[in-house]
Amino acid sequence: MATDDNFPCSLTLRVPFPDARLASVALQALRVDKELSGLVKRELSTVASPGSEHAGETVLQVDYKATTNRMLRVAVNSFMDSLALVLEVQEEMDVDVIESEKASI
Amino acid sequence: MPDAKGRRIALGCEGSANKLGIGIIAHDPITGEALVLSNVRDTFVSPPGTGFLPKDTARHHRAYFVRVAKKALALSGVSISEIDCICYTKGPGMGGPLTSVAVGARTLALLWGKELVGVNHCVGHIEMGRAITGASNPVVLYVSGGNTQVIAYAEQRYRIFGETLDIAVGNCLDRFARTLEISNDPAPGYNIEQLAKQGGRVLLDLPYAVKGMDCSFSGILGRADDLAAQMKAGEPGPDGEPFTPADLCFSLQETVFAMLVEITERAMAHVGSNQVLIVGGVGCNERLQEMMGAMAAERGGSVYATDERFCIDNGIMIAHAGLLAYETGFRTPLDESTCTQRFRTDEVFVKWRD
Repeated sequence: MATDDNFPCSLTLRVPFPDARLASVALQALRVDKELSGLVKRELSTVASPGSEHAGETVLQVDYKATTNRMLRVAVNSFMDSLALVLEVQEEMDVDVIESEKASI
Repeated sequence: MPDAKGRRIALGCEGSANKLGIGIIAHDPITGEALVLSNVRDTFVSPPGTGFLPKDTARHHRAYFVRVAKKALALSGVSISEIDCICYTKGPGMGGPLTSVAVGARTLALLWGKELVGVNHCVGHIEMGRAITGASNPVVLYVSGGNTQVIAYAEQRYRIFGETLDIAVGNCLDRFARTLEISNDPAPGYNIEQLAKQGGRVLLDLPYAVKGMDCSFSGILGRADDLAAQMKAGEPGPDGEPFTPADLCFSLQETVFAMLVEITERAMAHVGSNQVLIVGGVGCNERLQEMMGAMAAERGGSVYATDERFCIDNGIMIAHAGLLAYETGFRTPLDESTCTQRFRTDEVFVKWRD
């Protein structure tokens, strides 16, 4: 990401998902809530995993830019908390998981 | 899509304060009757002397979301394909906890291919109270840790007739429980209520702060805190005798509940209704129900209240109010499925009532 004089601190996260659908679900669930501080900019996208482009956009890419490292840390920590919940819901409550648990009872 | 019986089904997620609640409701297509299929709740309880902070509460909601949701789904017996929509609390409430639950609700809606419905928490309480008690057009007293409002319905809105000018009545009680370092388990208000039953030897003098249709509680809390400090220092009460935490709880309850009864009665006289519905966590308090009942009886009416399953924040009320809106065509597009800490009761267009 291009450096920005006002937002010198940056971080890029790349989160791999099993498939493009789950990556897209995460993108859509997480991008709704805006960053609370004007001192932080965030861009979310899904991209193809290097070397396995045929699988589609299976990687959630998050580009963070902030005025200070402290603001960057606060924003990224908060994002990781939300991401963890999305991953847990995907793992435990996707349609096929619930249906197979129901069938095994 | 409706289930085999043609019922509409919604899953509701609530987390505006320290309760995480997820519930599933069904509406009968002909009678409109609401049937509770499951109603699961997990409460974040902070240690005595402390309140629940937004960050810790949000962490609790994230940690329990999947457990509570799975239990609600299993208990309801419905399959994912039978669910029509996912409802979540849009506001009002604490930002962090609200957003953590909204993230979970959004993920479920996306995974399951369902529409989202954002619900006003206060309207959730009102609609659930109406459905459970059968009160058709009551004056509503909404009393909880975050809200204190007297409400009546007119022309597609729940109109606020009176409200607190500072803190909520439940916040006043919760914070006084902290002053006395009473347990927050199961709820500070419940423990104050139990303690108050042992008090009553003396009614300690506290300010009575009704201002027109509105109330104020922060000054009363300040005075109650002063009295608690005097008690701890071993100073006697107004009659020269010592007083106890039970006397303080009794006096606080009697004073603030009398204020609530007064503004509710005035609203009833205004709108010409003799029904009063009490909703919100403080609505479980049996002493408040008793005092309100005495007032309503004098007016030839009655009080409608629910028990802790529906009074205290829960997911089923969000599912119910959300499904009422859904049935009128209301949807919350994903891009707009944010939360807001401030969301007044009268901002909601109540399309589902005449």
